[in-house]
Amino acid sequence: MSHMDDAATASFAAGPVTDLAGSGGQVADAAEASSAARPVSDVAGSSGRGTRRSHGQLWRYIGKRLLIAVGLLFGMTLVTFSLTNLVPGDPVAAALGQRAADNPETVARFRAEYGLDKSLPAQYAAYVSRLVRLDLGVSWQTHHPVSEDLAKAVPATMEIAFGAIICAVILGIILGAWSAYRRGRITDQVLRLVSLVGISLPTFWTAIVCFYAFYYRLGWAPGSGRLTPGVMAPPKVTGMYTIDALLAGEWRTFVDASAHLVLPTLVLTLYTVGLLTRFSRTSILEVLDQDYVRAAKAKGLPGRTVFLRYILRGAAVPILTMVGLAFGSLLSGTVLVESIFGWPGLGSYAYQAASKLDLLAVMGVGLFVGLVYLCINLLVDLAYGVIDPRVRIGQ
Amino acid sequence: MTNPGQAKAQAKAQTKAQQCPQAQAQESAQPRAQMANRRSLTRRIWRLIPPGLRQPLGIVAALIALTWLVICLVGPSIAPYDPLAQDLPRFTPPGSVAWLGTDELGRDLLSRILAGARVTIGLSLLLVCLSMLIGSLLGLLAGFFGRWVGETIMRFTDLVLAFPTVILAMVTAAALGASLFNAVLAALVVSWPPYARVVRSIVMGLRENEFVASGRLLGFSSVRSMRVDILPNTVGPVLVMASLDIGTAALLLSGLSFLGLGAKPPTPEWGSMVSSAVAHFDKWWLGVFPGLAILTVVIAFNFIGDALRDALDPGVEKS
Amino acid sequence: MISPKNKMFRLTGALGAAALLLSGCADNGNEDGAAGEPGDGATQIVVDTTFDIKTIDPAREYEPTGQILVKALYDTLLTFADDDTTTVIPDLATFESNSDQTEFTLTMTEGRVFSDGAPITADDAVFSLQRLQGLEGNPSFLLAGVQVEKVDEMTLKLVTDVPSPSLPAVLATPSCGIVNSKLVQENGGSTSATDSAEEFLNETSAGSGPYILEKLDTASEAILVKNDKYNGPQKPTYDTVILRNTEPATQKMNVERGDSQVALGLSGDMVDSLADNVNVESVPSATVVFLLINADSAISEITASSEFVRAVKNGINYDGLLEIAGRGAAQATGLVPSVFLGALGSADALKYDAAAARTAAEASGAVGQKLTLSFPNDIDPTGLNLTTLAERIQSQLSQVGIEVDLAPAPFATEIDAYRDGKEQIGLWYWNPDYMDPANYLAFGPGQSVGLRAGWPEGSNPAIEALVSQGYTTGDLDARRTVFENWGKAMNADSPFVPLLQPGSNVAYQPSVSGVYYNPVWLINVAGLGIA
Repeated sequence: MSHMDDAATASFAAGPVTDLAGSGGQVADAAEASSAARPVSDVAGSSGRGTRRSHGQLWRYIGKRLLIAVGLLFGMTLVTFSLTNLVPGDPVAAALGQRAADNPETVARFRAEYGLDKSLPAQYAAYVSRLVRLDLGVSWQTHHPVSEDLAKAVPATMEIAFGAIICAVILGIILGAWSAYRRGRITDQVLRLVSLVGISLPTFWTAIVCFYAFYYRLGWAPGSGRLTPGVMAPPKVTGMYTIDALLAGEWRTFVDASAHLVLPTLVLTLYTVGLLTRFSRTSILEVLDQDYVRAAKAKGLPGRTVFLRYILRGAAVPILTMVGLAFGSLLSGTVLVESIFGWPGLGSYAYQAASKLDLLAVMGVGLFVGLVYLCINLLVDLAYGVIDPRVRIGQ
Repeated sequence: MTNPGQAKAQAKAQTKAQQCPQAQAQESAQPRAQMANRRSLTRRIWRLIPPGLRQPLGIVAALIALTWLVICLVGPSIAPYDPLAQDLPRFTPPGSVAWLGTDELGRDLLSRILAGARVTIGLSLLLVCLSMLIGSLLGLLAGFFGRWVGETIMRFTDLVLAFPTVILAMVTAAALGASLFNAVLAALVVSWPPYARVVRSIVMGLRENEFVASGRLLGFSSVRSMRVDILPNTVGPVLVMASLDIGTAALLLSGLSFLGLGAKPPTPEWGSMVSSAVAHFDKWWLGVFPGLAILTVVIAFNFIGDALRDALDPGVEKS
Repeated sequence: MISPKNKMFRLTGALGAAALLLSGCADNGNEDGAAGEPGDGATQIVVDTTFDIKTIDPAREYEPTGQILVKALYDTLLTFADDDTTTVIPDLATFESNSDQTEFTLTMTEGRVFSDGAPITADDAVFSLQRLQGLEGNPSFLLAGVQVEKVDEMTLKLVTDVPSPSLPAVLATPSCGIVNSKLVQENGGSTSATDSAEEFLNETSAGSGPYILEKLDTASEAILVKNDKYNGPQKPTYDTVILRNTEPATQKMNVERGDSQVALGLSGDMVDSLADNVNVESVPSATVVFLLINADSAISEITASSEFVRAVKNGINYDGLLEIAGRGAAQATGLVPSVFLGALGSADALKYDAAAARTAAEASGAVGQKLTLSFPNDIDPTGLNLTTLAERIQSQLSQVGIEVDLAPAPFATEIDAYRDGKEQIGLWYWNPDYMDPANYLAFGPGQSVGLRAGWPEGSNPAIEALVSQGYTTGDLDARRTVFENWGKAMNADSPFVPLLQPGSNVAYQPSVSGVYYNPVWLINVAGLGIA
């Protein structure tokens, strides 16, 4: 068994650097590397010689980040626009169908209605100018404004994504901590294997297997969709049926909506929890070795206090980064899962839009998810400063 | 699938990248005396195996990966039937006729899974190699030249990273037309940025380092210092990242095929085999076995990647 | 118990168990609410289908799910009985035509009212039909070349330049549904392209059909409730009809478990393994799946040769295709499907002859060459997976020496190449627009579909003569003969290979009665009853 312990120790000997003591080069490197995990980050400049945080700098920092975010969103529209126009198909034929596309008047009207008779740069300019007025345009497929479609699809997806991320964070940190405390023992090995299996699961397959097993064979889970037919959706406040049902005091609707949430959430949780367990374990292991944790233990503080006030706080920064990333990826992961559960969310909408060349809808989804990514990163960055005062902002 | 995978790659990139400076710090702090002591020959050979693989589970993972690699090479010749022949009764359940059953066209599932290994594993390796090369090259340029070249490259990387991966890959695959090669291209578009980031951060760190700086003082050209001082130091971390990425690549490619954007019929590809199972729900074997194939391949490569990381980290320390 | 299931159990552990307990409780709580049996007096029926819908504005909709809904919400001037797809019968109006079939006089039925109680007049009918024409929307082609005139308060006249024996069948399509002209005009409706009533009509139904719209979400579900003012012949049975967007695999489970009462999107294979507690109505659908072999030598010298066309027609084992199409499917004897006048008998259908096919393939120079078979892969006409079918065709053709590469693409991308006549070999399907064989004349030389196969006017004068006779012959028997002759000539000489009519499978709970397949509106939900 000695080599097993050996291996486990070696594998996690080095972890995220939270100790910034060292030469300038190394600090820069560490900061750069920690920002490497986040799509957009300028938390620490390459000099690494941060000054004390002040309100002015904080605002300048936020301003800079927002500016970059806007630039990125703009870039994203350009990329989607070019890509969608590269597709060899003609969206008009696709939108109109076999017979109507034979009728030149119908085609001409459609082109004029959606501005497709103009040159590509003119179309793009028109899109951007509408975008500035927060108008995402009208989907060719659904004939609804894209923003309306999104307003329906997003809460549906958020309901799964929030559920999955909450379950995954709680379970991931508990399992990760358990694994770290039991480093090298059999529990650690088993948890390590389980989390590895978790991140290796093809979600589309897990979804099918879960649906087959729990719905078709066992009948434990309810069928597809968000509610059992006949159960009316609660009055719309957030668009998330569980919350809306609670707000309206409709208990049966709440139970029904929650039951429909179980399987999709489970599938997405399975994947995410593997990711977070692995990451929490590494981060907590790193903190466990820190002097201040040893000191806290030596002082005889109760184990729970040490864990919550010292270890968890110390490991929170890298874990938080990972949670942000995982949440963003959950949103994309829904593309493969929602169709199987008949969930009318963002993933289904995106897939429909992409396969039907519904340019405005694709751009709308892209912008929305991009925006979420950027917001999460911004929040994570800001939370850094709060949780870990050693992270300094500005240049 | 793409995005979770990417997130993972990034997370690992982070851990990885962060290990470097500390590794250097540890070099001086940690005397390696005890490691040199009393090593028998067998022990020394044992030590040559990556530590992660020395556990029973590691050995199992390595064996699984090895089996799949062998199947890649000899797959079609050990298959009981022609993977494309539609001769057997449709939807035969697993049994003596066909061990894993037959599909909706009367093709032997086992033969198709064996033939599919070449497709999925081969293309995943190709994808990882390509994204490693492209990402590292851009990261190297960005890290070494800094300033506006670096800024431009990194902002572009940010752009790709900020994009919803599955959607970007989906639209790219749709724009290029469905084929395996195009699926690799589409996946490539979204899978190079983590490499660029990691390589850049390593290069940035090394650039300030004494031996590179001293090389400069000696008048070495940038190309030379890149080749001699910087490149060798990036190889280890990048290879570790790449090995961890193989599983992710397999998931991404099979996910694209699942959506109908990858393998063209009648190519036996695991993702598209799972997707045809969606329509024939009650024939559980159609989906279960190809899915298990994906799962075992991804687990095996992830485990090996993990072990490699564990093994190569001390290696970075020593060099 | 299958192995992955066990695996999942172990993996999910406590989380899964706890989560599923919750769902189990919820399931029990819902059972009484979801059933189709009369609960507290109100009856409800749940119909699962895979949604293909953009709008339910009658003058704009042209997708299958839209047709189902519009059929239930809007009455038409003429219609077909549920169990007879060949004879037009009166609904909101009766009709008479002159002997040339160029003038149709429609007299409105007395006493019929819209769902708001307003009487239906000729004004409403004229407005509705002119709006359909004027919107230049997807279904506008239906009434192309028809002049609509009001004669008096209860009479209108439709005039065409050429004899149009198929016009009554066209008037029975849901797109020709009669809207409440006053109500629609108040909400932006007009008979020109400036009409802006679509948004209104997607929220409120303005018709006289057996049901009115309660809620429509084009992504998930539509809820219809009984129209209390309805005074037509088709009294609805159920108080509420819920149409849900559901994946076929889920549809099957839902109907087996009683979560839904009717499932419309099951493939032939799924129906075969359906549990015993579910009834199935399986008939060949009116969708014809066919191969197009490009006759344009600029696209391919090989496919343009008549030997090659013969090789393909003989080289396909039609029974082998039916095997994968599953229950209800039938070989397409010609391009006109079996439910229509003038459809061919099985004696006239194309026959599999491997030896002849091989000889023809060699003569055409196709042996040793690779050709491309293109098809849309994200659309399953009537539950038939075109990818599976294409794989079977590829394998069959290979046995007679013709090698094809499969080139699947999303419908949106592929339809362009198809419409432009750029495909070497294409695998496509045709759904009837209205219940008349004249629909299929589009496959003739120089006609819209014929051109897609690189088959211009002047390619085959004999067939072209039959096409123009088909459009104008009014007498029923003469019409039948014309279409039969046309069908035989097309089978022999056209670049189209009719393959099969996929089965239309409607699975339903035994508690439901009145399930009939219709080629245009698929199912009449107002006709569903309690058995």
